[in-house]
Amino acid sequence: MYVLDVPENTGVAEVAARDATVKVLRRGPYVVLESDDPIVVDRRATGSRHAVWYSCVAALEGCRITQWDKDALRAEAR
Amino acid sequence: MSEREHLVRGVDHAAFPTFDPAGTVQFYRDVLGFPVVHSICAAGWGPEDHPDFVHFFFDIGNDDRVAFFYYFGLPAPDVAVGKGDVYARFSDDTPEYFVRSRHLAIHVDSEEHLLEYRRRLDASAWPVRMQIRHETIESIYTHDPNGYLVEITRALRPVMPQEDLDANLTVEALVDIVGRPHHTLDDLLVRKAELIVERAEAWQDAQPAQDAREPVNAPQGSESP
Repeated sequence: MYVLDVPENTGVAEVAARDATVKVLRRGPYVVLESDDPIVVDRRATGSRHAVWYSCVAALEGCRITQWDKDALRAEAR
Repeated sequence: MSEREHLVRGVDHAAFPTFDPAGTVQFYRDVLGFPVVHSICAAGWGPEDHPDFVHFFFDIGNDDRVAFFYYFGLPAPDVAVGKGDVYARFSDDTPEYFVRSRHLAIHVDSEEHLLEYRRRLDASAWPVRMQIRHETIESIYTHDPNGYLVEITRALRPVMPQEDLDANLTVEALVDIVGRPHHTLDDLLVRKAELIVERAEAWQDAQPAQDAREPVNAPQGSESP
């Protein structure tokens, strides 16, 4: 899962990275969150406001989003 | 001149019809303080069925203008039923997000200036209906006397170079997938990942020495509804 590295998205990447199974890589100006297991991001933990939360995912490679609501963002293997 | 050099210089004018010129002048000139900078009074416009009209312009800064047409004798639409403005009417079951999607957003340079326009509107017959922090901008909204949604907005921080890259990849991905039947946001995000793999590192390498990833201090604040 790709997240553009801008200040508003820092919380999303940091919260996702708290899961030890999630590897945080970079590709150019994007943060890449990579895992064999589902990636789950708790919305409240990110502190993201509405517009940031619902636009924080830049791209998907090998996974699909199975939850993206007021509670959490969840991406699982495709 | 290089091929496709970017020669344009902003909005000369954006024009809208009005059936309430008095209210329109009050809203833009007297409430918001936008100077009247040009007008045309015309006896028809050639064809016999063209009504006489007044075309009048308000300065919205940066030498850009918002303009209105008032046509003498043209009946106003019935705005008692349905949604929308005097130019575009929609049935009651039209989603609000769609009705609001077409709007005019006017830029200000600071929070102080945004709040000054909020103060002016809140003291008028057209108070601010929403104040929202979006991703990187903060905006106030109201409807003008014609029902047109007007937004005044400020940047919460300068645009970063990687946002231009990201915007270009998003648009390219959209163009690539929009011809597919039943295309979704998922299709776009998957296509965009392919474009990122192709280009993002080369883009990063081509950036000036200053690290584009260097964070800036994003203002923090509460979100309004």
